[in-house]
Amino acid sequence: MDNVIFIISALLTVTGALCVLLTKNVMHACVYLLTCLLGVAGLYVTLGADFVAATQLAVYVGGVVILMVFAVMLTGGPTSQSSNKFGIVKVPMMGNAKTYIIGIISAVIFALMAYKVLSRIIISIQAGELPAFTETVEKIGFMLVTDHVLAFEISSVLLLGALVGAAIIARPRRGV
Amino acid sequence: MEATYSLDVYTPVVILLFLGAITVVAALLLGKLVRPHNPSESKNTPYECGEQPVGSAWSFFNMRFYVIGLIFIIFDVESALMFPVAVVFKKMNEIGRGGLVLVEIMIFLSVLISGIAYCWRKGDLDWVKSYVPGKDTSNK
Amino acid sequence: MNNTIVSYLSQFESYKGLLESFSSMFGEAGPGLLTFLVFLIGCILVVTVLATIGGLGTYAERKISADMQARMGPNRVGPYGLLQFLADGVKMFLKEDLIPNKADKFIFGLAPLLALVGVFGTLAVLPFSSGFTLANLNVGVFYLIGIGSLVGVAIFLGGYASNSKWSMLGGMRGASQIISYEIPVVLSLMAIVLMSGSLNFGGLVGAQGGLPQEWFIFHNPFTFIGFFVFFIGALAETNRAPFDLPEAESELVSGYHTEYSGMRFAFFALAEYIEVFVVCGVGAAAFLGGYNVPLNLGGEGILGQVLQILVFFGKTLALYYLVIMIRWTYPRLRVDQLMTLCWKYLTPMAIFNLIGCALWIYLLDGKSVWDMLAAFVGSMGTGGGH
Repeated sequence: MDNVIFIISALLTVTGALCVLLTKNVMHACVYLLTCLLGVAGLYVTLGADFVAATQLAVYVGGVVILMVFAVMLTGGPTSQSSNKFGIVKVPMMGNAKTYIIGIISAVIFALMAYKVLSRIIISIQAGELPAFTETVEKIGFMLVTDHVLAFEISSVLLLGALVGAAIIARPRRGV
Repeated sequence: MEATYSLDVYTPVVILLFLGAITVVAALLLGKLVRPHNPSESKNTPYECGEQPVGSAWSFFNMRFYVIGLIFIIFDVESALMFPVAVVFKKMNEIGRGGLVLVEIMIFLSVLISGIAYCWRKGDLDWVKSYVPGKDTSNK
Repeated sequence: MNNTIVSYLSQFESYKGLLESFSSMFGEAGPGLLTFLVFLIGCILVVTVLATIGGLGTYAERKISADMQARMGPNRVGPYGLLQFLADGVKMFLKEDLIPNKADKFIFGLAPLLALVGVFGTLAVLPFSSGFTLANLNVGVFYLIGIGSLVGVAIFLGGYASNSKWSMLGGMRGASQIISYEIPVVLSLMAIVLMSGSLNFGGLVGAQGGLPQEWFIFHNPFTFIGFFVFFIGALAETNRAPFDLPEAESELVSGYHTEYSGMRFAFFALAEYIEVFVVCGVGAAAFLGGYNVPLNLGGEGILGQVLQILVFFGKTLALYYLVIMIRWTYPRLRVDQLMTLCWKYLTPMAIFNLIGCALWIYLLDGKSVWDMLAAFVGSMGTGGGH
């Protein structure tokens, strides 16, 4: 079952992310992003971080995606043609054949290097060696109220800043 | 109970999500066999009380929806941080550390409450904005 | 501790026998396969039962509204018109599938799917009884909130994809209403999590008892208010009247599903009715003692499980009835009233309740009002005796 969940979530994540890149419709990109984020939540589950997975669901799937579609609609939504707001009907390709070839080669080199570095870590995790724990929530909670209490409190100040900032940005301005 | 982590608990979640998707797809595909299909131009026009639709519905969106979304995300993150603390509060209270955690919760929430109070005072929570031309509402 | 229905069933001898026969038949994969099969059967059972309840919900809605308005209601199909929902289903199935020519066809098809997936996802953690819970996830409450928020996305996308003005308005209202009211709901559930010290539904229900004074709703004044905050927020989150602005028929034709017909519409309706049931179930589990049978009648065995399921469904359906009653009793709110109610009344009240519950646990050791009353009466009694 572990493998099944991993494969499903990995497929969702990768296909979602690829489709976000490949689609030209902003709203479709939001929907693909939704599947990508769902897949990431599944990946967290396979890693044993169930609370982080639930947070991913509640904050990203329920909140950020809605905020994104709202933001898309703020710009008037996607038009029926594939034109952007400057009136260019065809979205120009990003780069030409040469840049793509260089990009692929450098990606391969980078992947090889990353694999060389990570190979020991990757191999040392065997199937069935997932972390043993009972409730991640309690551990996170204990950490939040003991060792990381400063981070916990400072995050509330950060949220306050975000709240006030959001309110100020959204306030109607004169003469605009 | 010390148990090794098993993903078996999540099996029903996966099954149910797939059941939801399969139900929709299967019903639509099966329905294709029996339902009529003769579309026409006027049938496929968006409903606008019998009038010819004017323009696209994908128009500019009111800013206040976006504000609601932003405030929602802030509270969502806040609840994500509060849930673990809420879970351990009772246990911390049993080992005599309840007061400390209570103070921490109070500080956390009071910072947020001051945020809401600010937005409330400045009129950002009002749906109908009391907008008077020539008067700066931000200094109400 | 029963985490899932499988771990509950594995106590029994017959299940062990089944496990052995599976192991001999399929070798290594046997136990895993059996677990999967049990889960599959359980899921299909739950989905079938809840889809039927959702269907009967439409019937109950009409019958109760008819009763309240001195009409007959559906009475032709089956006894007392009970099979009306099946007739409706067949009718929807045979209807032409219309997609407006200007619609975003991809999202138009995806929206009902997302709604149903989101609602079905919530069913996994619904605590029907101490044994028959599909998955008692450690993060049950938070998971339910997260996966349930897919419905809000689906409603917005449905309204958006139709490319009709009514749908668009309905979808916008729906999404903003759902996310707004999620905050008081989450905060009042958090107060209950604080009281029980557990984030899974098993722990929530286990911290309560069978008799009303052991329920969280009557535990202290803050949870009592919290229940109503939760219930009002839940009504709004499921787009039920008086908060049915996203589908307000007198102003928005039919809201976000104006352009939907046939099965696609049926799925939206089904998702809505099942979601109402789920929300009522969460309310029953978190505030009304859940599946706890009064005085622990029936014990631990099969009889106890059946009684627990009956108690859970009884409480949930009572709330369901209340939801339908409210729909046909109260007039619809205006948008500005809706937002004022959420941000200026329910959210501050929910935060107040949360702090109140924390103080209650700290200062009074989490004793309920009844405990203290009993102790007080007891001390009076002994005092009077001297």
